[in-house]
Amino acid sequence: MKKILFAFIALLPFGGQAQNSAPAKPQAKPMVLTGATIHLGNGVVVENGLIAFDNGLITAVGPSSTAVNRTGADVIDLAGKHIFPGVIAMGSTIGIQEIASVRATLDFEEIGEINPHVRSLVAYSTDSEVTPTLRASGVLMAQSVPQGGLVSGSSSVFNTDGWNWEDAVLRKDDGIWLSWPSYLARSFNYDDFSFTTKKNEKRAETISLLESTFADAKAYSEIDKPEMTNIRLDAMKNLFTGKQNLYVRANYAKDIIDAVKFAKKMGVSKVVIVGGNEAAKVAPFLKENNVPVVLGALHSLPSRPDDDVYAVYELPAKLHKAGVKVALSYDDEWWRVRNLPYQAGTAAAFGDVSKEEALMFLTQNPAQIMGVDAMVGTLEKGKHATLIVTNGNMMDMRGNVVEHAFIKGAKVNLDNKQSRLYEKYKEKYGQE
Amino acid sequence: MRKLVWTWLSLLAVSTVGMAQQTFPRNGAYDERPGRYAFTNATIVADPQTTIAKGTLLIENGKIVDIGTNIKIPKGTVVTDLSGKFIYPSLIDLDSDYGMPEVKRASGGRRSGQQLESNKKGAYGWNQAVQPEMRAAELFVVDGKKATDFRKYGWGTLLVHPHDGIVRGTGALVTLDDESANKALLRDQASAHFSLDKGSSSQSYPSSVMGSVALLRQTYYDADWFAKGGKNAESNLSLASFNQIKTLPSFFDNSDKLGILRADNIGDEFGIQYIIKSGGDEYQRIGEVKATGASLLVPLNFPAAPDVEDPWDADIISLAELKSWEMAPSNPAALVKAGIPFALTADGLKNKGDFWTNLRKAIEFGLSKEKALEAITLAPARLARADDMLGSLKKGKLANFLITSSDLFDEDNLIHENWIQGKKFIINDLNAADLRGEYKLTVGSNSALRMRVTGKANKPEYQITQDTLKLGPKVTLNGEQVTVTYQPDKKKPGTVRLSGYINGRDIQGQGTLPDGAPVEWSATLDTTRATSSSDTVKAGRPTPKQPTFSDMGKLLYPFVGFGNEEMPKSETILIKNATVWTNEADGVVTNTDVLVQKGKIAKIGKNLSASGAREIDGTGKHLTNGIIDEHSHIALFSVNEGGQTSSAEVRQSDVINSEDINIYRQLAGGVTTSQLLHGSANSIGGQSAVIKLKWGAAPAELWIPEAKYIKFALGENVKQSNWGDAARSRFPQTRMGVEQVFYDHFIRAREYDKAMKAYNNSRNKNNVTPPRRDLELDALAEILNNERFITCHSYVQSEINMLLSVADSLDFKVNTFTHILEGYKVADKMAKHGAGGSTFSDWWAYKMEVKEAIPYNAALMAREGVVVAINSDDAEMARRLNQEAAKTMTFGGMSEQEAWKMVTLNPAKLLHLDNRLGSIKTGKDADLVLWNDHPLSIYARPDYTMIEGTIYFDYKADQEKQERIAKEKARIVQKALSAKSKGAETKKPEGRSSKLLQCDDIIGVHAEEIK
Repeated sequence: MKKILFAFIALLPFGGQAQNSAPAKPQAKPMVLTGATIHLGNGVVVENGLIAFDNGLITAVGPSSTAVNRTGADVIDLAGKHIFPGVIAMGSTIGIQEIASVRATLDFEEIGEINPHVRSLVAYSTDSEVTPTLRASGVLMAQSVPQGGLVSGSSSVFNTDGWNWEDAVLRKDDGIWLSWPSYLARSFNYDDFSFTTKKNEKRAETISLLESTFADAKAYSEIDKPEMTNIRLDAMKNLFTGKQNLYVRANYAKDIIDAVKFAKKMGVSKVVIVGGNEAAKVAPFLKENNVPVVLGALHSLPSRPDDDVYAVYELPAKLHKAGVKVALSYDDEWWRVRNLPYQAGTAAAFGDVSKEEALMFLTQNPAQIMGVDAMVGTLEKGKHATLIVTNGNMMDMRGNVVEHAFIKGAKVNLDNKQSRLYEKYKEKYGQE
Repeated sequence: MRKLVWTWLSLLAVSTVGMAQQTFPRNGAYDERPGRYAFTNATIVADPQTTIAKGTLLIENGKIVDIGTNIKIPKGTVVTDLSGKFIYPSLIDLDSDYGMPEVKRASGGRRSGQQLESNKKGAYGWNQAVQPEMRAAELFVVDGKKATDFRKYGWGTLLVHPHDGIVRGTGALVTLDDESANKALLRDQASAHFSLDKGSSSQSYPSSVMGSVALLRQTYYDADWFAKGGKNAESNLSLASFNQIKTLPSFFDNSDKLGILRADNIGDEFGIQYIIKSGGDEYQRIGEVKATGASLLVPLNFPAAPDVEDPWDADIISLAELKSWEMAPSNPAALVKAGIPFALTADGLKNKGDFWTNLRKAIEFGLSKEKALEAITLAPARLARADDMLGSLKKGKLANFLITSSDLFDEDNLIHENWIQGKKFIINDLNAADLRGEYKLTVGSNSALRMRVTGKANKPEYQITQDTLKLGPKVTLNGEQVTVTYQPDKKKPGTVRLSGYINGRDIQGQGTLPDGAPVEWSATLDTTRATSSSDTVKAGRPTPKQPTFSDMGKLLYPFVGFGNEEMPKSETILIKNATVWTNEADGVVTNTDVLVQKGKIAKIGKNLSASGAREIDGTGKHLTNGIIDEHSHIALFSVNEGGQTSSAEVRQSDVINSEDINIYRQLAGGVTTSQLLHGSANSIGGQSAVIKLKWGAAPAELWIPEAKYIKFALGENVKQSNWGDAARSRFPQTRMGVEQVFYDHFIRAREYDKAMKAYNNSRNKNNVTPPRRDLELDALAEILNNERFITCHSYVQSEINMLLSVADSLDFKVNTFTHILEGYKVADKMAKHGAGGSTFSDWWAYKMEVKEAIPYNAALMAREGVVVAINSDDAEMARRLNQEAAKTMTFGGMSEQEAWKMVTLNPAKLLHLDNRLGSIKTGKDADLVLWNDHPLSIYARPDYTMIEGTIYFDYKADQEKQERIAKEKARIVQKALSAKSKGAETKKPEGRSSKLLQCDDIIGVHAEEIK
């Protein structure tokens, strides 16, 4: 009885209120946006630019003088505005986490250590009330990632609009996520409320478990029709063909090196480091091995008391300068991802990269890492018209008012639960 | 069998001593002896200042009868000639649990359930951790094995108490005699003992250091009330005992430098000067420690050298750890230099022998031998008020002394005998042969052998050589008897066995060859080769060059990498040509100069000049007030006292951690003032500490005591919704209950306040029992009297409404609602009540009660007339509060200046500090930030952050600090490497970081995910 009651209570708030607005309808007629400053997402800016798209795809982008067929098109003058590619949020729990303290709303962590077969794809909820708030801050694509265990599962990439996961998904099962056993382990001291970090004694044991799992998976992938099906191993086979990424969560320099070497030894061709606190120490190694890094929340404290107070803020630029491909993420967060654009701002403020270079950390680079760069990530002819129009520089709070958003050419409703409540209470108080 | 032997030995001991317990019956004939001994021709170090050459010590019946030269030795005295030997008073340790029962700590963790009442039987006090009735003398047993270990290293007397609880009762002064508790006990109720550690108490309260402080303070007040008539109202054995122990020497257990200041504060309130156990790190805050006037009990457990061979692994070791390894041995010398009285203790050492190693190290680091001796003999005797019988060798004092081979602090010194209450304990036989030297060894016809004896006198090392061939012998020395075995030919089995005795300086005897043939042998000291014994020792083992005082790095304030070598000072500063955000009617003014003098804003205008001022060019830069964080938990040792539903009595000011690196990091984000709030574990939390982030200053200098605030909380945290099944017993568990908590407490506070005022105003206080002072109700009465102000953690509109109506009906004000994520729903009511709102810019979705939180909250409230601040509750976000304020422009369209006020002037108003903080106005505190860009921009960071005209963060100096940290680390790493190569014990790399505390932190582990 208690359980049933609980489930009922948990459902209530989502049952009784206004639902998310309907997903955008597919683009019906050509659009031409003119006069705005267009940030292409690959480091290039076009002042007083023009962008045209039809059937969801970009047909032209360039200065406003660019010749395009305007017949039957909606032409919108956006002088003074800015156009950016839709922001891509990697490594998130968007769509699979709703209210952190309510277990019934959490779908990102399975039990068990080796779960390559579990997929965020099927749990991704297009009815999350969080997702529309992210769109309103420019986040138009999200990678939704299973958490926990050693091999957490398989991620997928979504547009942040859609009726269900099947039509929201941009790329299914783009990679398998592995938590690399850390070289150093942290433990809590009750005596003085502090943490102690020291060598992880169980590391070798864990690595050997991973080695046998990956070796078995590789061997399994070589058989056409196995006598006995193993859905775990089956889920890993694309790691060995290069069709899927292996995302490895690793922060310490030694872990990064070991993790990359492990992947190579196991025959995994595409490996991505996630977290990468100490990636700067091994930047030449990462460059040499062509391994990109998805950094965790930039808005976090340095891990050690003697670290440069701005160490975390400076890291993306350092890696970029050293020739390592960098994407920014907000760790395994969901609602906070709406602040992701500001992390690019921070990267430019504290590091030796331009604002446009920092923008690449949210657009071109994540698209390339996840293998969706043929479709999205930059504003180029032939790619999806997935973009936002803002009042200013979206990487700064003062310019992040998103006025329009298009996902594959479809004009997205920017309304969300929070803006609705805002309107409701403005009405209550008679505020303008 | 082993047990039997032991019993027999101890029985034997009983019979040798005079003055055994007269009341005890004897098994067999009486064997009382006079115990009259004289020691002659010794170098007697009677006390640190007095050394008697060729002196005599005469003792009888366990006491010193006479000491000096030309002493007449009465007949019937056992005389020992101690030519060449030394006599010292034996060591005293004041912090021991010798002979005490083992303390079993209650298992921690919030999953263990809650225990709201004491489970101690008998008519004792309400809290299990307050045990003034505990009496070490009643618990004391002689522990033969431990006593042997103590005696071996020279201790004679210990002050023992069970290390358990906040009030630990009385200590017992005992000797290390091994017979019976009756003999060993010198003084019952010799001392009183206190701490802030609840020990084995399984009771939920207190669960924090500040809760412990409050409980101890309350106990003093309760005991006072009890004495003044409360005893007629209730029986309370604990309070009765407490009143008896108050006058004893009071020892306070503690483990760090800031804890000394904390303990001393408590003592000051009650006119008690505690003797405080230190952490050995007081050299890092020596000025403040000195100012307490406290005497200290100082441990000698110096950190082991860090293992830094792998540079990446060693990166986790902080500079502070490296420096404390380097500097800890200088602590005793620093105490002497500062004139702080102290006694040394072996407490905390794994091996007692390390005491001597470390004491010698402390001497190398500048501690004089006289002061060292004082700190282990006379100083502890004085602190225990037992210098009438202990601590030096003087007529009438106890015959507790050591006979040593040389100067007590020499590395080669041997303690021969440790006499306790006139009874001899042999440590290293006084008459043991010192065989060290080189011998011609003749075994039968073989006279080509040589024997070398090196090492320590009590641990000789032997070597037999034939030409260059080494024949490692086995040698046993038993009194005068010597046994030697060796194998003459390594390739052939066969051992020569020799038995012999010492004859003068030579050895001779008989033995058996491998074939069974008997043989004569002798070893003759080769006086031509043998040099003095100490030379041989040194030749055998080179002593590594120790680090010394002179090549240490500088102290840092605070003692962390980014600390200051010199404390920054208040300056006269002229900022020229900046864009100034005044937060006053002038708004933002460009090309303006601001002059700072004597910590205040002296002038604002164009083309200002001031002689002697440090000029800072503000061209292209923005000058603003320092950011004020209304809701912070940095710089605290603990946040929540969650043991009870109201903890109004606890004070965050008791747990300010001035050494927290987050102070510096937040200066680097433009923050200058923070309200350190209690957490939200209970409906009525604790008293806030508002601090200025004066990096390097001690806790008392950070604190603004006149800002009197208290934390309240509503909703899921106080009803323990997300704490699992263990937390289902404490009232309240619903929002219905929360309301009643407030009613109940405020009604009681009103009655209490009335009773207090009536008593204070009454003319005749004689024969009237005063009302019991209650620290919890004091704080609530202050709220009713408008002297203390509420900051209430709150989320949903129903509970906000509830507290407003409780407050209105009981006639008090809610000053600030913090978090207040649904404040936008009741902004009109808040404005009417006059309550402010201090909120997050955009947090939501982390729990049920924030599912309707919106980032437009601040704007909606502000437009309804609520004073709105944006706060952090998070050490990371706090350094970006300028950006958080900017979000109110994105969400809700606030103007730039209104947005900026939300992290400066508005929180100043909420803290009632806007008369001195929050705007750039002549006469206000010069708490200023010069930004390199528009302060609401993501691209802005401070060039300078100053507080009261003192620059605490300087972007350029910060870069220099980073270089200094790197260099200093490199220097000490090289030192540590060389220590390791010379055989020093090392410790694997370990990083330590303090936990980032937030609202929900009770036990620490769980709350990182939930605000």
